[in-house]
Amino acid sequence: MYYYTDTLSDGGMFDRIDPRSPTPLYAQIAGRLRVAVAAGELRAGDALPSVRALASQLRINPATVAQAYRELEQDGTVEMRQGAGTFVSCVPTERKRRDRAAEARRLVQEMLAAGTRLGIAADELSRALHDAMQETRK
Amino acid sequence: MTDAIRIRSLTYRAGREFALRGLDLTVPSGSVYGFLGPNGSGKTTTIKSLMGMLPPDDGTIDLLGHRVPDDVVPALARVGYVPERLHLYPALSVDETMRYHAAFYPRWDAREGDRLKRAFALRGDALVGRLSKGEAGKLMLLLALAVRPELLVLDEPTDGLDPVVRRDVLSAIVDYVAASKATVFISSHLVHEQERICDWVGLLDDGRMVAELPMSEFRAGVKRLRVRGASAPAGAGDSAGAGAGAGATIATLPFRVLARRTLIGSDEEWVVRDWRPDMRGAFAALLPGSTLREVEDLDLEDSFVELLSAARARGQTTTDGREAA
Repeated sequence: MYYYTDTLSDGGMFDRIDPRSPTPLYAQIAGRLRVAVAAGELRAGDALPSVRALASQLRINPATVAQAYRELEQDGTVEMRQGAGTFVSCVPTERKRRDRAAEARRLVQEMLAAGTRLGIAADELSRALHDAMQETRK
Repeated sequence: MTDAIRIRSLTYRAGREFALRGLDLTVPSGSVYGFLGPNGSGKTTTIKSLMGMLPPDDGTIDLLGHRVPDDVVPALARVGYVPERLHLYPALSVDETMRYHAAFYPRWDAREGDRLKRAFALRGDALVGRLSKGEAGKLMLLLALAVRPELLVLDEPTDGLDPVVRRDVLSAIVDYVAASKATVFISSHLVHEQERICDWVGLLDDGRMVAELPMSEFRAGVKRLRVRGASAPAGAGDSAGAGAGAGATIATLPFRVLARRTLIGSDEEWVVRDWRPDMRGAFAALLPGSTLREVEDLDLEDSFVELLSAARARGQTTTDGREAA
């Protein structure tokens, strides 16, 4: 039983799952899916791949995938229907907005940490971000 | 029975140079255990001892509750084993090899064998001697999986395979684990692969276990710190070689300093184990006069290298041979 494995992998959603990252793998997977729901890439009622299929596809421990799904079930992003699989829940717009904001914060924190390691101060990063936004707008 | 593999104080001498020296190893049932170590550290010797092929000079081995080597036969029927090197007859075809193998295993699942043969795109009439390295690797895994084992023992299953075949092999292993809840014992020096799939790690060096712990603890507990103002003489060694002064303070810290390096200025880089997040706030109190500037996560490979060099440095400065945690 392979659900939307192909759709999910074609979308490259898990391309950058990184076992070397300090963020545990289960949290990375849960995070990707949460952002995909928040961004509308996954919609209410969409089926997630089975634990077995996703673990095998990503070559990670099935317990890690199961842990990610449990976390998503607990925060109401998905629901597990006995025997049928795991499905995206109807997530309120307000929460989607919060999830996107949380993801944005996470990205910025990553950038700040990288800056600290290289000795680049936060205001320099902020200026660079501002400049880059100007350039994209042109 | 909660441990699939339990090895205690295993000693085995293979010639003058190499030996397993009092090896302890525990693989909990249901875990995916990554057995890591540099080339020549004793991984294959350990696995051969486990499979009953090398009688121990001392110590005990229990495999699925059976004492090895005396009582190994009933255990082996429940174990799928992929040896380091091709162990098949080159003149047999793939189908013949599968039938031959099936005769030794009462649990052989012919349907699963055929399914894997298709999944791996192996031709039944191809001669084993003519298979590519990748095809041979897949065939060996097929033979181990079609036994429907409770325990998979894999000795460097992806070594020397190209990236595509490596993915197929790892996917098949994960798929089997997900479906069967089997225990997996997988030896490798390819650290990144293990980082993805393992939930336990054992790190072997020179015939001894350097560290054995759940992957999550391994990942969470080994850190690189940037410390400013630690007044102790900065040597390459840890507390064992640091001598007097603040060295004594460092020895009493609630985490273990594996390595110290001086950076530019008065900054030092420490590699520590047994780190906990709450130590960050308590650092200044633990080591007066010093500031903790950064706590950096290490990936498995960095941790692996740091733990190995720390173990080796200790091996040189201590004579009692008391290693590992």
